Amino acid sequence: MTTVAQTAPPKTRRRRSVQNHGSAPYWLIAPAFILFLAFMVIPIIYTVWLSMFAYRVDSGGGILAKRVLSFVGFGNYKAVMSDSAYATGLLHVLLYGIVAVPILLGLALIFALLLDTVGVRSGGFSRPAIFIPYAIPGVVAALLWGFLYLPSTSPISSITEALGWGTVPFLNLPWIYGSLANIAVWGGVGFNMIIIYTALRSIPGEVLESARLDGASEVQVALRIKIPMVIPAIVLTSFFALIGTLQLYNEPQTLRTMSSAISPTWVPLMTIYRDAFMTDNLPRAAAASVLLALITVIASVIVMAIARRRSAK
Amino acid sequence: MYKRRAAGALALGLATAITVVGCSSSDSPNSNPSGDGNTANGEPVTITFWSWPEGTDKTVEEFNATHDDVQVKYTNAGGGDESAAKLLTAVRSGEAPDVSLVEYTTLPSLIVGGAVMDITDKVGDIQDAFSPGAWEQTTFDGVVYGVPQDVGPAAMVYNAKAFADAGITEPPATWDDFRKDAELIKAHDPKAVIGAYPPSELGFFASAAALTGSKWWSYEGDAWSVNIGDQATQDMATFFQGMADDGLISTDSLLTADYNAKLNANQMLSWTSALWATGVVQGVADDSQMGNWRLARFPQWEAGKTAVGYQGGSAAIVTASSEKVDAAMEFITWLNATAEGNQAFLTNSGAYPAATVGQELTTSLPTPPIAEGQDDYYKLAADIASDTIGVSWGPNVAYAKTVLEEELGKAIQNHTSWADAFVATGEAVKKDLKDQGYNVAN
Repeated sequence: MTTVAQTAPPKTRRRRSVQNHGSAPYWLIAPAFILFLAFMVIPIIYTVWLSMFAYRVDSGGGILAKRVLSFVGFGNYKAVMSDSAYATGLLHVLLYGIVAVPILLGLALIFALLLDTVGVRSGGFSRPAIFIPYAIPGVVAALLWGFLYLPSTSPISSITEALGWGTVPFLNLPWIYGSLANIAVWGGVGFNMIIIYTALRSIPGEVLESARLDGASEVQVALRIKIPMVIPAIVLTSFFALIGTLQLYNEPQTLRTMSSAISPTWVPLMTIYRDAFMTDNLPRAAAASVLLALITVIASVIVMAIARRRSAK
Repeated sequence: MYKRRAAGALALGLATAITVVGCSSSDSPNSNPSGDGNTANGEPVTITFWSWPEGTDKTVEEFNATHDDVQVKYTNAGGGDESAAKLLTAVRSGEAPDVSLVEYTTLPSLIVGGAVMDITDKVGDIQDAFSPGAWEQTTFDGVVYGVPQDVGPAAMVYNAKAFADAGITEPPATWDDFRKDAELIKAHDPKAVIGAYPPSELGFFASAAALTGSKWWSYEGDAWSVNIGDQATQDMATFFQGMADDGLISTDSLLTADYNAKLNANQMLSWTSALWATGVVQGVADDSQMGNWRLARFPQWEAGKTAVGYQGGSAAIVTASSEKVDAAMEFITWLNATAEGNQAFLTNSGAYPAATVGQELTTSLPTPPIAEGQDDYYKLAADIASDTIGVSWGPNVAYAKTVLEEELGKAIQNHTSWADAFVATGEAVKKDLKDQGYNVAN
């Protein structure tokens, strides 16, 4: 009698569980890797390196001594942190964020929930209509709204003037925060709504059905089931909103000629632009950019930690 | 397996090296200032020229048509606040033109950035073509860095028809008269203002302060002095603040759509700036304004004085990286110091020449359409240009402009003292010079 089952010889080496693809994967990702290296990594390294230098002149060189790039270590960082222009810029960004971010995310969430309600025909008109403002280029949108705010061209102001109430001070403090936030919300709601809507669409139908069978109203379903289940999407849109707020540049810069409330260094990025391109101080701009990036990272980490703690509850 | 890993690592290392080399900047420009004109076989030398006033392309065409040994390739590099930074970047990357137009206010910052060539030895022939006041704007410590092209002696253009409607028959000779006229205008039409004085107008405020003898930047020996916050400037600031608080002047930006609309609606009635203002107003005015405006002298702080400062104006420089200096100087000499060159840019671009021969040419020109009816327009312009106060700009004018815009903007928004804004600006500018390493006397 022969033994049928014969155990395989004991393995002395763990067999590869994946097929051996050779070096093909490396060659295939090489183009993307080279581009990533060239346009992301190397510029970042160069920026950090440049931020350690500054243009200095030799005091004995007379009144028009040439500026020379010299090593100053963290001198630029100290200068940026004590520069009132950057500090007030961050303050403006904070005030803007308090107005813009909750409205943006709140509206995106509400629109997404409304579109996801049973009985609503979500194709056709509503979704494109809410999304179209996102397709309008940022500068065009800012100019458009700028003319809607400017007292001499604003239709809203002409109505209030006709009613005897004077012009609406859209472009003056403190309304300017709301006016700028409005432009960003108008443009960004569609994009964020799509993200949340997609997450809503992927909620398993059985969960919602069982909730409805248990007697939950639509509002209760939305608040108790849908929102908790799309928290990851909401966190994602919060990240975008946060980064967009810290990098606010387009709207204030475009409206600068129309509003005397917007100084040339109203937000940090405008100050960075001034340093880089107007006052020939690229190293200081590099230092400020690095600091702004760090602030963004820290803020993102905080948001992430809060989200994790809430979902762990 | 190790061979594959090594090959992969080598490939990635190579990719990194290629990327780094490809991204690194090219060598610093060859600053050999002894380049000559003609090449050996008599081919014309081609030089590159950056400028921005409208019509410069026609001026360059005229030069090219009349010169065999030098040909000029013109690029409209755009003017404005970023033009100096653009030129600096170009010089640093080795892509700079041979000749560039630069504004007087940016010249020192370009010099310290290493972008300008010393041409003291090359301007001997044209020394007498310009007044000492004009040369002062391109000469520092005895070194000549550029040849003046156009100047902006301070002057005022005003809507004489609207002034007459408000009961004003003579343009204001002093700033006190200016204020009285502003009140008359306001009484006649509450929506009209005599002019706009936004915080972005460092050039105007400097020129108005210069009338009192105030020198915002000056140098002695090897040290700078910064006096943006001196008493004369503070008094000037308080004067304009008073007018703004009483609603007699606007503090909104110039030459925006809103400003232009107001100008054409007879609600923006004058512009105290310089001789080039006529051309600019003509550019934004519609046909109804033609013939309504007049040129007048810049209002004085003290009655009877006539000397005025400068606002704006530009010079032609040879860039430090240029290797065709003689050819460049030939072009610059033709453009800025000869009658043909001056006639060209006067007709094509409307700029007011710095050269004496150019200023004499203007007197034979017809009055600009917007001032039609003022037959002595160019004679008045020549008179204004002949009595000027020199101005020195420091190496951080661009920085000063942004600080003033911010400080004065804050003062306007919060209704705080404009004088304090100028003082704060002066302190910041001084600190900036010191931080960079310059000697600052005060």
